[in-house]
Order: sequence, then structure tokens, then C-alpha cells
Amino acid sequence: MAVHSSVNGTTAIPWRSSRRRLTLLEQLRGCQEAWCPGAPWDREEAHAAIRGTPAGSFLVLRDSATSQPSLLCVSAGGENEAVLDYNIKSTDTASVFQLAESRLSFSDLAQLVLFYSLTRDVLAVCLSIPCWIYGVTDKNKDRLAQLEPKTWLLTPPDLQTDEMTQREPSSVMCSIQLTSTNGALCIINPLYLREHGDDWLTNRATAAQSATQPSNYRRERRLSTTRTWAGAGLQSKRAISLDQAPSTAEMEISGLTRAKSADSPNCPPSPSAKVSSAGVVLRRPSKDASSSLPQRESTESLSSSTPSTPGSRNSTVFEPQPHGSPVPQSPHRVSWIEDGVWLPPPRPSSLLQPPSLELDSLSISSIEEEQESQTPSPNQHYPCAHRLADKVIHRLSAVGQAIGGLVSQKKRLTNRVQELSERKGDPFAEAVKDFVEMTLKRGADPSGVLGTEFLQEVRSSLTSLKETLLDCQEIQPLLDSITDINDAELESLVELSLHKVALKPVSTQLYSCILSSRTEDGSFKCLQNNLRVLEKKGIEELGGSAGVGVPDSVTLERIQQRWTSVHEAYSPNKKVQILLKVCKSIYHSMSANASSGKVFGADDFLPCLTWVLLRSDVFTLQLDTDYMMELLDPTQLQGEGGYYLTTLYASLYYISSFQPRLPARQLSVEAQKSLNQWHRRRTLHCNQSRRSKHRRTIRRLTRVAQTLETDSKEDSGKESDSANTVTSQGQTESTTEALQETSSEQGAEDKSQTSTPASNCNHRDRVRKTQEEGLTLCTVREENHRGL
Amino acid sequence: MSSRGSGGRSNGTLPQTKICQFKLVLLGDMAVGKSSLVLRFVKGQFDEFQETTIGAAFLAQSVCLDDTTVKFEIWDTAGQERYHSLAPMYYRGAQAAIVVFDITKPETFERAKAWVKELQRQASPNIVIALAGNKADLAERRLVEYEEAQTYAEDTGLLFMETSAKTAMNVNELFLAIAKKMPKTDTQNPTHAARHRGVNLQDPDAHSTRACCGGN
Repeated sequence: MAVHSSVNGTTAIPWRSSRRRLTLLEQLRGCQEAWCPGAPWDREEAHAAIRGTPAGSFLVLRDSATSQPSLLCVSAGGENEAVLDYNIKSTDTASVFQLAESRLSFSDLAQLVLFYSLTRDVLAVCLSIPCWIYGVTDKNKDRLAQLEPKTWLLTPPDLQTDEMTQREPSSVMCSIQLTSTNGALCIINPLYLREHGDDWLTNRATAAQSATQPSNYRRERRLSTTRTWAGAGLQSKRAISLDQAPSTAEMEISGLTRAKSADSPNCPPSPSAKVSSAGVVLRRPSKDASSSLPQRESTESLSSSTPSTPGSRNSTVFEPQPHGSPVPQSPHRVSWIEDGVWLPPPRPSSLLQPPSLELDSLSISSIEEEQESQTPSPNQHYPCAHRLADKVIHRLSAVGQAIGGLVSQKKRLTNRVQELSERKGDPFAEAVKDFVEMTLKRGADPSGVLGTEFLQEVRSSLTSLKETLLDCQEIQPLLDSITDINDAELESLVELSLHKVALKPVSTQLYSCILSSRTEDGSFKCLQNNLRVLEKKGIEELGGSAGVGVPDSVTLERIQQRWTSVHEAYSPNKKVQILLKVCKSIYHSMSANASSGKVFGADDFLPCLTWVLLRSDVFTLQLDTDYMMELLDPTQLQGEGGYYLTTLYASLYYISSFQPRLPARQLSVEAQKSLNQWHRRRTLHCNQSRRSKHRRTIRRLTRVAQTLETDSKEDSGKESDSANTVTSQGQTESTTEALQETSSEQGAEDKSQTSTPASNCNHRDRVRKTQEEGLTLCTVREENHRGL
Repeated sequence: MSSRGSGGRSNGTLPQTKICQFKLVLLGDMAVGKSSLVLRFVKGQFDEFQETTIGAAFLAQSVCLDDTTVKFEIWDTAGQERYHSLAPMYYRGAQAAIVVFDITKPETFERAKAWVKELQRQASPNIVIALAGNKADLAERRLVEYEEAQTYAEDTGLLFMETSAKTAMNVNELFLAIAKKMPKTDTQNPTHAARHRGVNLQDPDAHSTRACCGGN
């Protein structure tokens, strides 16, 4: 059976799914029957069970008729042992869940629960998820399903296995996907709320507005939370009213009122606004918020009153309540913004400021330390209204754009990896330390191994480090929580964070290794010599077709700056990203003056890139190219990055191997050698990194490759037939005569040898030997592959 | 052709389709229409399967074959003789190759034969090679007879079609024929693809219309 070759590393690796630890979401789903019991459980029974439990303990009850989740009962804790009810709205298809008061909707119940365990939103207290759940692994997960509600509310001692860790909820923070009914999918980073706190929310825009607030429901709804979090400032203004647990009806009304006030700035309550409680959660601020209802909003409000709209079905149940007092104003809101903090219209200019930077750079462990200082003093309640408005807008639009999702996830991962690498005694930290020390030491050793081999070892170490990192308990949940990017992108994220801790300290050392290696083998000299010959050539002399454009001086200048950035980046992935930008601007220049519709493929791109390289610092670029090729993660070698890196490599190779007397006949022995090594290493390292992860195919390959390595070493010593064949292939690939089989292999070899006598560029013997190994290896492996 | 782009996939509920990813290299003399051919293929497909690339030298495109999504990553090469020696860097590891010639230029056919020979000797042993006689719309200036190329292709075990990037003749057919010939080993975990689409609450409009920015 023919098996698709994975020699070039195109096999995607589902490593994420192969990890054993369950995410919190999975765990919650696993024991959903426990916290969301079925039929016999009604409100009374739930209240009885919850009463007396710590604040935040909760159960979700199902509607007896539809068996859809309908009520969230939460313990308020404290002496009164109050139990609070929150209605849950869900669509018929049960694909959207939403607290009646809130305007955030979730695609499943577990996400809702998880979200409210991290941030309160409309709840009085955060939901509390039992600690033992963090210790549940594959081994004992089956027992999750057998849990009963009463067990859920207690801490079952039998689940406290030795695998239970002391991890706090914050260490398994997940991003949560929630949705507004306008279709915007938002990734909420709970850290953002926790870190930035609610101090800005506690600030009343004006005293007058706060006075207009109907005070009763606010008092009822807001109970002191027992969770310590950055939003502690909120608590100070929340009246504690444990004896007045609000009825469901009151809650609904208050939710409605707040929704109305949000959607109709400066407008009296209109029918369309009143029913929009299920409406938009997050939206871009209107630039004209002080004027009448923006078109888009009113459309949404209307549509959300249509019963068929997902997520809003239940909204029609609530009759709009007349509300006497003037409604406070807020151009936009999310439901977790406190009522009474409505804001004046924003300044339009504030829309221009990108908010995403504010969102990232959070590390979980820093939250606990910082929260103290975030508690605002009670007399800070009258800040500059504009400043407040800007803050809100930044944050809302940031979340709404979901930019924050990816950026903050990335930062979170990077920061967490950084933390881990600095934690004393942690296996990952130790491994990183060893790696850095070893690399610095070996790189400084002049009698050490050759440049590329050294780099290959570095790559190999990086892969092992990645494995160690992925074995960290704290990383896996973080990765699992990042659900909105594909595996390759996630892999790249992990790589990037690893580069920061491992490659950054040694990158200078690695450059100098490549430099001495390239100087030693003479390729820099070739590069230098040929540069003089080639730099005078125009684009058409390099093979570009007539009409193809080259970068003008301004563009060329920008490209030079980008090359500098390439060199400054220590992460090979980052380098490739910048390389792609350079390539893009080259394309742009190519087609700048061309007639529209003209397509420029590789026939023109390669000459253009070469033209650009001839006007760049090719020596530094050679270093960077080697660095990328040797250190790039295998999964990043596919696709566009791999293509343009190959092209960069090819172009540099063309320059350094250019032979004026034998322009088209120069053989790419060295190039092939390097590529062979490259691909071989990829395969080997790929195997290595996956060996413990049920990578059946690749594991088999590892063995084959290892066996072959030994075999081919023997072969090359014996000058076997296969080695000869390989040599002839290398020789003939660009030799027309040879392709026509009119000249003998020996002839071809003689010819090229005479044409390049004692050339520094051709360490032919050494090269050929290595190449033989490489090619033999590859060929046999591929055959073996085929036979699988 | 009916198998191409089976419509209902965009609605979140992804069937368990196999996803196979292949590297396809384009070889052939300069100006025989390599890029045009691929661009015609890529642009002629549904946007849904199209991936944005920075230029026309590298393009990616998926086609649907029954229960399999075949994703081609298409590596173009420079056809000039002077860059010939760089080609192995590109075709190494490729699972498929299209060798293109111009039916109005016999020398490009000779060059194509040389490429085929080189591929058969040096590329992956199980590489699927297709020969494309491009510019079939210029039949009145034809200098390479169909039969000649057809016989050669049969003798050498190649797929062969005469194509026209200009009129789109046989372009999709060529890629589909290659896709059918590829070994269908799943190279991507489909559960992840499905998982990431997940419960799609996103406004369909939120998906930006992807377009290829390459070429012009």
C-alpha cells in the first residue's frame, strides 16, 4: 500500500488531542449530570441542597417540560445561606445559552458555567467549581459521570487522588467563546477582566446619573462576592442585601431595563429597544452616539424581537415594563458593566486608538499580587468622564473585535512559558538552563562541531524542550483553551514562546557559529566574488521577463530595514514572517508597472529576489537563512513560509555558486547536500519529538532511518553501486548532454572538474560523500515508505 | 467535476472528510504558462477552499473528491536554464508534479521530457507526474502534435492533457486527475478541523472574502 510520504514533514500532528490531561471544560462536561441534574430535581430540592454551602456553589436545573437547562441556583454563602436564582434562556436547539439578565450567550452550558466561575457578570458571586475537579484525569474521568448533585456540592474525598494537584483555578484559565446575537463571536479572556478590574466601572459618570438609578434592584442584585479578585472595588458600592434575594421576575425586568438603557441613548424607551435584552452584547461604538438610535442597532433590536432569531426566542416572554425614571445613558455596553455607570458619548477620536495592546501582557500569577493595589478608594467616584468613556470604548471594542482573543492568548502563553522557565526546580526550567549553558559552552569551543551540525543539535534540543514544556501540567490546559486557531498555528505559538526562553539567550552565539562555518568552507568568499560579477546585471540579465518591475529606491530601502529586522529576530518563525513581508513588497514592485492581468510566477520572482539580494547584505542574509533553515520547526516548513525560504536559499545559492564560464551548468551538489540534511533532520526530529505520542507511522520511520544511517555510512565507504548512481544523478541534473544520455557520467564529472579547478566552492569529495549518504538514505526510506 | 466543492460544508457541521495535503511542483520552460495554468485553477475554484498567498509563485488550493479534501500546495519553479540547478530544492519531497510545455514551441516539449526524466530519477519514487501541453487555444500554431505527446506520456506513465490557461480548457480536469491519482492517506486530523469550526455562531458575513493577491 502506498503511503503518503511524510519526508517533507507535511504530516500534521494532532499532538494536542494526544495529551492526557482533561481541560476544565471537558471535566465540567464530564460531570454535567452532577451540576445539572435531570427531572426529579426541582427548585426546592436544589435550594435545600445548596443552602449552607460556600458562596458560589451552584446547580443548574432543567425545565421539567423541555428538560432544557432553565435555572441557575447559586449559593450566596454567608450566614443567611441565601440561594439566588438566575433564569437561563436557551434556544430550542439548545445551541445558545444565556442568563436571562445577561446579554452574553454561550454555545454550551459548560462554557457558561466556566465563564461565570471566572467573572461575575450579572451574578452576585462567581460560581465556584470544586477544587477536586482539577485533579481529574483520564484515569478517573469515568467517575465524573457517576457523580450526583449532592456529591458535586461537597468535596468527594474519594476523588482526591494522588494526581490531584494544588493547582488553582487561575492556572487552568481558559478563554471562553461567547456570542452576541449579532453574530459576533467573542473570545473572552477572563484575565482581562480580572486584571484590569472594574475600578473604572465603579466610577459613576455623574452624580446625577447615579441618582436617577432605580436603587432597589441594584441593591438586590449585588451581593458581596467572596471571591477575591481585582474588581474588589465593586463590592464597596454594592449594598449587601442577603434577605432580599430577588425573584426571577424582578431580575428579568431589571435586565430588560438595563438593556433598554443601553440601546437607546437619549431616547425614550421605544418598543424595539425594550425587547432587545437578548440583543447585542458587544459592538463597535457608534461615532454619533449622541444622536438618534443608530441604524444597525435598531435593526438588531427589531430582529431580536423576532421569535425565530436564535438566542432571542425567550426575550419575547418578557413584557416591556414601563419605567418612570429617566434612563441612564450608555452608548454601548456589555452586561457585566454595572448599571449606573452609563457614560457620556465618546469622543470619536478615541476610536482611532487601537486597544489591543491593553489586552495582553497579563500573566496569571501576577494577578494575585497586584489586586491589592487595584482596589480603588471610595472617593474616586468622579473622574473625568471622557477618560472613562475612552477606557470603556477601548476595552469594549477590543474585546468585541476579538483581537484580544488571539493576542492575549499568545501573550499569556509566552508569559507562562517565561515564568515556567524561571521557576526554580521545575523540570522545564532546568532543561532550559542546561540547554542555554550547553549551547553557549559548545558554541564557544573552536574545536567543536561544524556549524550546521551544531545547529541541528540545537534544533533537536529545542524539540526536546518543547516536549518537556508540553509535559508541564500548567501548559496543557492553556493550550486546550486556545480553540480558535488551528494546530499549526498553535504549534507555532508554542515554538515562539520557546524561542523566547531558549533561543534568545543563545542567538548571538549561533550566528557566530554559522559565520565561522561559512567563512571556513569558503562560501562567503564565493558570495563575495560573485557579488561583484552579478551586481551589475539588470533584472532581464538575471532572467526576468520584459516588463517586470524591480523595487524602487524607497522600496529597496524599506526592504533593507526589513532584512535588518530579520536579523534582529531571534525566532526563526519570526524571521520567516518578515521574509514573507519582503517577498510581498517584491511582488508589489514586480507588478507595479505591468499591464493588469499579467501574472508573475517563479519565472520572474526568483530573478527579482536575486536582484534584490544583490543589493542587500547577502552575508548577514546567509546567516539568517541558515539559521531559519536549521532551526525552524518542521511544521513551519510547509506552505508559503517553506516555499519562500527555499527560494531565498536557492537565490543565495545561485549567487554563491555562479560560474561565469559555465553559466547554466553548475551543479547543485552543495545545495542538495544541505537540503538532504535538512529534510533528513526534519524527519528524524519529527520522530523524536513524537516518539511518546502514538505516532505510529513516524516512529516506524525513525527506526528505518536509524538503520539506514548506519547502512549508508558503510555504503559510502565501499563506493557501492547505489552511491555511484546517486553521484551521477547529482551530476546530470542540469547537464543537457547527460539528460540526453549522450555523455557518460564520468565525462560530465570531468568537465565540471576542469571548469572549476581547486575551487573553494567545491569541496567535491567531501560534499559528494555526504550527499551520497543523504540521498541514499532518502531514497531507501521512501521506498520503505512505499512498502508500508 | 461534480465532486468539486460540495456545497454544504460551510455550515459548521463538517462531515468527517479526510484531508490530504500534497506538495505539487510545477516545472517547465520559461513562459510556457506554468503560473497562468495554476492561477486559472486556483481562481476558478470556490473561494471557500482558497487560501490567500502573497504571490503567484506559491499557491494553495483544495479540491473535494468524494469524501476527501485534497489540498495542493503548489510550488512554482523558475524555468530559465540558468536556474535549472535550483530545481531539486523545490521538487524534493513533492508528491506530485506538473511538467508544462507550450504546444507551439517544440523546444519546450524537449525540455519537458528532460524534466520528466530528471523527476523520475531524482524525485520521490512515488511522485505523480502530469504532462500538460499548454496553450491549446493556439492550435493553428501547433508544432507539437497531440499524438506525439500522448504517446510519450503513455510510454513514460504520465498523465497527459492539453490545456489552455486562457480558455480554462482541461485545467480543472488536470488537477482533478492528479488528485484522483494521489494516495489518500489522511494527513490532517479532521476532528480538529471540525472542532475549530465548532458551533458556528458567527455571522457568515464575518468571513472575509478571501482572494488571491498574487500576480497582478
